[in-house]
Amino acid sequence: MAVRPAQFRRALLQTPSRLRQQNTIQHSHPELQHLLSAASSPARLFSSTVTARALNTPDYAVPNPSRPTHFGFQTVTEAEKIERVATVFTSVAESYDRMNDLMSFGWHRIWKDHFVSSLNPGFSPLASGLDPRAPQHILDIAGGTGDIAFRMLHTAHIVNANPDVRVTISDINPAMLTVGKQRSTLLPASQQAALSFVEANAEDLTRTTPLSSPGTANPPTSAIPSASVDLYTVAFGIRNFSNIPAALREAYRVLKPGGVFACLEFSKADAHPLFNTLYKEWSFRAIPLIGQLVAGDRDSYQYLVESIEKFPSQADFRDMIIDAGFVVGGQGYEDLTGGVAAIHKGMKPRA
Amino acid sequence: MLVLRYKKYEHAATPAPPSSNNSSTNPPQKLKPLTPSQTSFLSSALRVNQAGELAATLIYTAQTPPVVRREPHLRPLMAHMYEQEAAHLATFNALLARHRVRPTALYPLWSILATGLGWSTAVLGREAAMACTEAVETEIGGHYNGQIRQLLEMVAGWEAEGYDVGDEFRELIGTLRRIRDEELEHLDHAVEHDAQKAEPHWLLTGAIRAGCRGAIWVSERV
Amino acid sequence: MPSPPVASRSAGAAAAAARRILHPSPLRPATRWATIKAATTTRTLTTSRHHLPASLSATTPTRTSSRPYHSYSHPPPPGPFTPIESLLLAAAYRHVPTHGFSPKALARGARDAGYLDISATIVPDGVFSLVQWHLVTQREALAARSAALSGDGQKGGGVASRVEALTWERLLGNAEVVGQWQEALAIMAQPSYVPASVKELAMLVDEIWFLAGDVAVDPTWYTKRASLSAIYAAAELFMTNDRSPGFHDTRDFLRRRLEEASEIGNLARSVREWLSFTTSASTNVLRSKGVQI
Repeated sequence: MAVRPAQFRRALLQTPSRLRQQNTIQHSHPELQHLLSAASSPARLFSSTVTARALNTPDYAVPNPSRPTHFGFQTVTEAEKIERVATVFTSVAESYDRMNDLMSFGWHRIWKDHFVSSLNPGFSPLASGLDPRAPQHILDIAGGTGDIAFRMLHTAHIVNANPDVRVTISDINPAMLTVGKQRSTLLPASQQAALSFVEANAEDLTRTTPLSSPGTANPPTSAIPSASVDLYTVAFGIRNFSNIPAALREAYRVLKPGGVFACLEFSKADAHPLFNTLYKEWSFRAIPLIGQLVAGDRDSYQYLVESIEKFPSQADFRDMIIDAGFVVGGQGYEDLTGGVAAIHKGMKPRA
Repeated sequence: MLVLRYKKYEHAATPAPPSSNNSSTNPPQKLKPLTPSQTSFLSSALRVNQAGELAATLIYTAQTPPVVRREPHLRPLMAHMYEQEAAHLATFNALLARHRVRPTALYPLWSILATGLGWSTAVLGREAAMACTEAVETEIGGHYNGQIRQLLEMVAGWEAEGYDVGDEFRELIGTLRRIRDEELEHLDHAVEHDAQKAEPHWLLTGAIRAGCRGAIWVSERV
Repeated sequence: MPSPPVASRSAGAAAAAARRILHPSPLRPATRWATIKAATTTRTLTTSRHHLPASLSATTPTRTSSRPYHSYSHPPPPGPFTPIESLLLAAAYRHVPTHGFSPKALARGARDAGYLDISATIVPDGVFSLVQWHLVTQREALAARSAALSGDGQKGGGVASRVEALTWERLLGNAEVVGQWQEALAIMAQPSYVPASVKELAMLVDEIWFLAGDVAVDPTWYTKRASLSAIYAAAELFMTNDRSPGFHDTRDFLRRRLEEASEIGNLARSVREWLSFTTSASTNVLRSKGVQI
């Protein structure tokens, strides 16, 4: 039974101060109980013992709970941002698709299709039967509802007829993962078997927890090993991270040499001033209003629109990717729909 | 490196590039790669200059018969100015060919307009012809000044960053200075020969200067 | 150093001349300088945690390297491919004769270069980048071949024969991939790649005319390049169906087209000369009759 987003929001907004006083909350709905306890300890999501990082990791790339960052147009600390983003996405999880359709007139499906086809997962140049297909491990970050992961599986298993591709969906928000898990039950069994769901903060992939059903004991955390991922994707998620350089460095760590980092995200349409003006007008005026009317949740939509505005431009984000150690081809990014969205790709070079 | 043969333009061409086995005793110069905006500035500057010299040559060609028919004593002056403009044109033709800069696409149009301008002002009288020369040379002189200033700023920028400045640019600046001075000399000749007395002076020079500015703007781009 | 003209004549003229020199026309807009200054600062990776050689981490400023001004002393501008692309595309190019301009060739190239299959996807335009690699490397190889040709005793014959020789050399550069070339033309004809393809063709014909020693900078600059583009494109297409040994049918085709073009050029020049002669002759005749023109 789906819980209405507004109920989620109200419940979560009331919890933070009380949670600091008590460890458990009693709530009738088991799913909400599970999610509240997860959302109640944001400190858990920061690794208190910082894993061994390279000596020359710059300061700004190490997560620091009290460093200021932005939440839309407001300034908050990194810890607070994680909390508030969790709130937003928990409340929109059920209507995530509808939200995307509204914000992009349904065009996000085209962008996602293009993103996945340009990556062509599972493609192998050797004819089948001659050599075993090269296995691929794809890590989809912030992909809770499974949009990208399901497309990847379809392309790999069906279009490229390569069954050796497995996808790990990681998300910091269990509500989104739950939605994805529900949707994945519609996939063929072979694709479901190649799919796994983990809960993790992209800034520290050494502490990941498999998604557990409510009522079971907390499963043990494990790490995503270094140099174990062929393709790391993040679609419409990275602008919500509180520390993007840290996430980029984690991506660098988990990728194999030759592995590809691919990011699909809203970006700047500055190259076309008239179109940009219309787009900004639509974003800031119409979208929060539609959010209010359709989903009863103006604030989440306001945050989403502001977070797009705060995200760095195509060239700046490309520079951040290069700064994390990746190499890029051409400009390093591809504009979609005049720059409304952009695909950034980078590759981890060999040592 | 190719050694390019420009026998026709040797008197005006810059020297051939050094070949790779040049046993020069100079230490290798540290030159900065040209940025895209610098190369587009250089190409549009040379293109406009060639178009300007072409126009000047054709103006003098068209002006000479009517003016000289009425005042034969001006023949040496007109011949001298024409020769200088022809030499300038040859210089810029060589520079464009050497540096692989394309000429302006409106070359035929400028040819027709320049011939028409030269002939019509000459038919109006010697003063009008001189006023036309005055207007064109004023615009061109100022235009060269602007180019030289930008080149000097480029050179100053390189020197400030610790790079060397090759002969290519020093010679280019020297060439532009020489040509600018000769154009201003033509301006003096024109004023000397009663350019200011043309009636109506303000209309003629105003219109011609505006036309020149428009032609410069277009030639930089097309 | 030449000094400004001395204002030694009448005071009015001197003052006017001095005024003109001191207050020349305004500079180009300041924005041009801002862009030149900004473009000269280089981005420094102060905190890159892996000391990658700058060679691998470069990005291309523009996709197709058009060079409006060619400098002999300054280092050349960066090419259209970043170092990692060059690595991947060079490796993939070796597979083109067998696998065509296809994702298979790209993936095999990535494997040969020691990377993963998926590494080939960072090449921005996919198979079109591979086609562009072929076009760019063949064009840049012309300069070396031209030096060899002119040292080979081809001094006589003039620009036209050198143009034919260079165009033929470039066509021979397609020999290895001619079986895949129709596919490549189809890739180049996709609407998003048409501008880049046309630009490559323009750069090729400019290179051929330059290496052949053409120094004309009048409107024939445009007509020569336009006609050679058309001839080259036709010959290239003809070659994809040519089964004759050594492609001699293509060579004859090329020769015939070039002869036609030079005939047309001669005709145009004759007409122009006739027109200009007739105009100046009739003007002079009228002047000699006393007409004041």
